[in-house]
Amino acid sequence: MTYFRAVDPFPLESERYTKLHEFYTRLGQGRLVTTRCAGCGRVAWPPRGFCPECRSDRFEWADLPGEGTVAAFTVQETGLPAGFDGPRVFAVVDVAGHRVFSVLREVAPEKVAIGQRVRLTPMRVDDDPEGKPRWLPAFSPV
Amino acid sequence: MRKVALVGAGVAKFGVRQASYRDLIWEAGKACFDSVPAIRPRDVEGLVVGSVMPERTAFQSHISSMAAEALGIKPSALSARTEHMCASGTVGIRYAYAFIAAGLADLVMVLGVEKLNQPTGQEAILNMGTGVDREWEASFGLTAPPCFALAAQRHMAEYGTTEAQLAAVGVKNHNHAAKNPNAHFSKGATVEQVLGSRMISSPLRLFMCSPITDGAAAVILASEDRARGLTDAPVWIRGTGQALDGFTLSSLPENYARWPSLVRAAESAYRMAGITAREVEVAEVHDCFTIAEIIATEELGFCGKGEGGPFAAAGRSDHGGDVVVNPRGGLIGCGHPLGATGVAQAAEIFAQLRGEAGPRQVPRARIGLTHNNSGMGEHVVMIYGREAA
Repeated sequence: MTYFRAVDPFPLESERYTKLHEFYTRLGQGRLVTTRCAGCGRVAWPPRGFCPECRSDRFEWADLPGEGTVAAFTVQETGLPAGFDGPRVFAVVDVAGHRVFSVLREVAPEKVAIGQRVRLTPMRVDDDPEGKPRWLPAFSPV
Repeated sequence: MRKVALVGAGVAKFGVRQASYRDLIWEAGKACFDSVPAIRPRDVEGLVVGSVMPERTAFQSHISSMAAEALGIKPSALSARTEHMCASGTVGIRYAYAFIAAGLADLVMVLGVEKLNQPTGQEAILNMGTGVDREWEASFGLTAPPCFALAAQRHMAEYGTTEAQLAAVGVKNHNHAAKNPNAHFSKGATVEQVLGSRMISSPLRLFMCSPITDGAAAVILASEDRARGLTDAPVWIRGTGQALDGFTLSSLPENYARWPSLVRAAESAYRMAGITAREVEVAEVHDCFTIAEIIATEELGFCGKGEGGPFAAAGRSDHGGDVVVNPRGGLIGCGHPLGATGVAQAAEIFAQLRGEAGPRQVPRARIGLTHNNSGMGEHVVMIYGREAA
C-alpha cells in the first residue's frame, strides 16, 4: 500500500528525516542516549537540537543508564488509538533524574508499582517507508 | 486599551452529529447572528476561527476564509485561524479581544468548530494523538486520558482524593447537561452509574471523561462604542491570562496534580479584572476529565490546594454553593469538540450574565470566568462582567 505520513503513528527515524537519527541507531543497539549541549554541557530529555540556555545548536550523544524506576503510571484499558491495544501500561520512568515517558512491557498491569525498577527494552515498531527498522524506548521489569 | 464586550453568542447542538464541518459552521453562525439582530454578517469586520484538526477530519485547510464565505462575512480588519489544541477557542477570543482593544477592529466574530466523529470510530482517537508530542509520546499510543490519569493518581496519593469525589464531578456535570438542550448527553447520571462505568485509564472511568463530540459555537466581540449601540446588555471582558509550564510530560512539574501555569494565568486575569476568586459566581472550567475540574477549582482559588475533591462532593461547586462550576454541563456533559469548547464556554457565561440561561441560570450572576486548557501544562483564563469595570 502507498505510504501516507498522515496515518503513520511513528517518527521517521533515519538520517534522511531527522537530526536525531543517531538516537534511534543507538536505541536499535540497545543503548539509551540523549543530547549533551556542545556549548554548555547541559544534558536534556527529550533530546534537543537547540539549547535555550546557551543558544548552541551543536550537541553530542550522552549515554543514559539502561535502568530506571517507575515514577508514575496508569493502565489504559480502552479508548486507545487505532493500531494500539489495551491494556497498555503507560509510565513515566525516572532515568538518572530525567523523566522518560514510555510504556512498560512484559508485565502484568496489576503488578506495576511506583518505585519499581525497570530496564530499557527497545521496542521494534513498523519499518519506515524505505524498509528500515524503527525503534522506540520501552521498558520492562528488571 | 479600549474596553471590549461580547454582544452576541450562539451554540450548535453538540453530539455525534449527522452534519458536515460546514453544516456546523452554519448552525453556530446562525445561532450567534440570531442573538443580535442589529448585526448583519457583512457588518462583521473580522473573523477568528478556533479549530484543531480540520486537515484530518474534513481534509480542509484555509479555515477562516472558508467559514467567512459560509457565513457571508467579508473580513476587512482581521481573519485568522487559531489552532491551540483544546484551548483553541479561547485563544481565538484573546486574539479578537486584543485587536479590538488595540483599535485595529471594532466588530469581530470568534467561531469554534470541530467535526471529530468519523465513519471509522478509531480514527477519531488516532487523530487525538496529534495533541501530544508525536516523537516522544503519541508514537507510544498516548492521548489525553492517561495524562490526566497520572494527575488523578498523584492527587489521590497526595491529598487523599477518592473515587467517589472524582465521581461527584461527573454526576454534577452530567446532571447540569440534562438542562442544556445543546449538550451531548441529556440523561444525567448517578454516582453508581459513574463508578460502575467501564475503566478507561486507571482511575478514570468512562463517565469521568469527556466524549468525542462534534460541535460549533460563535460569539461576537465589539468595541465599547459599537457594543453600546448594538445591545442593552453587553458582557464585558474584564480580564485574561495565559501561561505555559511545558508541552511534554517530561517537561511538566514532576507533581502532575499541581498546575502552576493555571495559577499564573488566573493571577493575570484576576489582577487585570481587579477581582479575587471569591467574587466569581459562575465558572466554566475545563473538565476534560473530572480530575481536571477538581484541580482547576484549586488552582483558580475557589478552594484550597488539595481540597478540590471534598469541595465538589459537598456541593460547593453546584447551585447553592460557593460558585457554580460548569452550569452548561462542562466538557463531560456537553462533549468536547476541541476548538468549539472555549467559545461555547464564553457563550454560556454570556447567557448567564444576561440572565438568559433558563433552567441553568445562576441567580443574579454578575461575574463569570472561563478556564480552557491545552493538556495539563497550559492554561487560559477569561473573566467577564455584567459591568464594564
